[in-house]
Amino acid sequence: MIKFENVTKKFGSTVALEDISFEIEKGEFVFLTGHSGSGKTTLIRLLLRELSPTSGKILIEGKELGMVRKHELPFYRRKVGVVFQDFKLLSNMTVYENVRLACEIDGHVSDVEEKKIQEVLHEVGMTAKQGLFPRQLSGGETQRAVIARVLVMQPKVILADEPTGNLDPQTARQIIDLLEKASEGETTVLVATHNALIVNDLKRRVIQLKEGKLVGDCKKGKYID
Amino acid sequence: MHTAWKHIRRSPYQALTAVFIMTLTFFVATVLVVLAYGTSTVLRYYETRPQVIAYLKADVTPSDVSSLQVKLESDSRVEGVKYVSKEQALDIYKQATSSNPLLAEFVSPKIFPASLEFSVRDLAFAQEVISQLGEEATIEEVAFTANLGDSKNLNQVVERLSSVANYVRIGGAVVLGFLLASSFLVLLIIIGMRISSRREEIEILQLIGATSGFIRSPFILEGMFYVVVGSVVGWLLTLLLTLYVSPSLISFFQGVPFLPQDLFSLLELFGVVLAGEFLLAIILGALGSLIAIKRYLKI
Repeated sequence: MIKFENVTKKFGSTVALEDISFEIEKGEFVFLTGHSGSGKTTLIRLLLRELSPTSGKILIEGKELGMVRKHELPFYRRKVGVVFQDFKLLSNMTVYENVRLACEIDGHVSDVEEKKIQEVLHEVGMTAKQGLFPRQLSGGETQRAVIARVLVMQPKVILADEPTGNLDPQTARQIIDLLEKASEGETTVLVATHNALIVNDLKRRVIQLKEGKLVGDCKKGKYID
Repeated sequence: MHTAWKHIRRSPYQALTAVFIMTLTFFVATVLVVLAYGTSTVLRYYETRPQVIAYLKADVTPSDVSSLQVKLESDSRVEGVKYVSKEQALDIYKQATSSNPLLAEFVSPKIFPASLEFSVRDLAFAQEVISQLGEEATIEEVAFTANLGDSKNLNQVVERLSSVANYVRIGGAVVLGFLLASSFLVLLIIIGMRISSRREEIEILQLIGATSGFIRSPFILEGMFYVVVGSVVGWLLTLLLTLYVSPSLISFFQGVPFLPQDLFSLLELFGVVLAGEFLLAIILGALGSLIAIKRYLKI
């Protein structure tokens, strides 16, 4: 599903990622761990094609990401849901409107999609708060709304960059549970985090980065400090 | 459309500024178009009304008159040749002095010469035609009726009217050019500000897979909205102003049709102006927004 082949990313003379190679299967749930500045966010941004690698190849479903043309990029991104630590919801839209927006960008919102929006909001426990604006929500609720927006797009890959960074342990666990549930189908989930508690508790595959290098990749891994 | 409307409502003062500037531009544009139309109409009026009257000598025979009339009718520079008898000339005199009937009471048709009246297709031919006609043996005197202020001959009349029309057209085009340029800049600045204030939104939209068309279209619609609303309001203000001043204009021009005299024709004229301005507004709005997007929105 996702394959990194000797990927290096440099910003000027600074090496953010160096010779990274790994493969993630369809439907897999993977933690990407490492300290701040280890290259986690750069790796996520490479997968979003916000950045291009300096060298090496990134393949998604066998297709090289570098070959995706500029006009094809929005269609690629609709297959890749993204969850950020700072949420990135549109502040002038309600929870419902934010979730609906993901359908709108794909074209006309049919009755089937309206039903799907409500299902997803129910799934993340936001049905009662769908009429509220992001500023009226707690951190955990906002992140749930973001996950609803991602799920409604039925993405093939979900990338989460520190999704629990601003949340208390209990809420953080609820968010990770939602992401884990999403991977029960065929959705691949990659969660960049340094939340050791959750990583150790879930015992999922862990890819560990340190100073831009891949230093560990193990099934049922643990967070190594 | 919904998103564009939301954007407009969120910053009402910016929207109001844009609409105000556009209204001013299109108000002046409509006034200038009406003025250009009026001057062209006046020029055409003088070109097509019977401007030349060839007074016939008292002893001319009907066959002489007929042959001269045929000659004039075959002249490509001349149109609308009409014979006016002594009796008809008296009638015209009576009509002209109807406010003082005593003036007409003591005159007989004998003192009025018969004449041939005609107009020239283009006022530029007038002087030439008059000179040639003056050499005819049957002609006593040639006069022209087109007269403006202290004009001494037809050339002066033509020059005056043409220069007035040109001043209106050229001056109007310059003023309109400046106004359109400033409106265009205002639109660029406002759309640019809109884009800058929504950087984060744009980034989010890009991340969730919005196409550039989806991101750009609200900005384009917003720009078009300002210009279209401005054009309609500007046009409406000019229409109301014209309706208000038209009685004074009709009285001032004393029968010269500067503007259509009946309401239907006036509305027809304004309808054509509105259609043209609407089209211009759509082009200006779309172009201004597209340039602002190209300049400020790198996606």
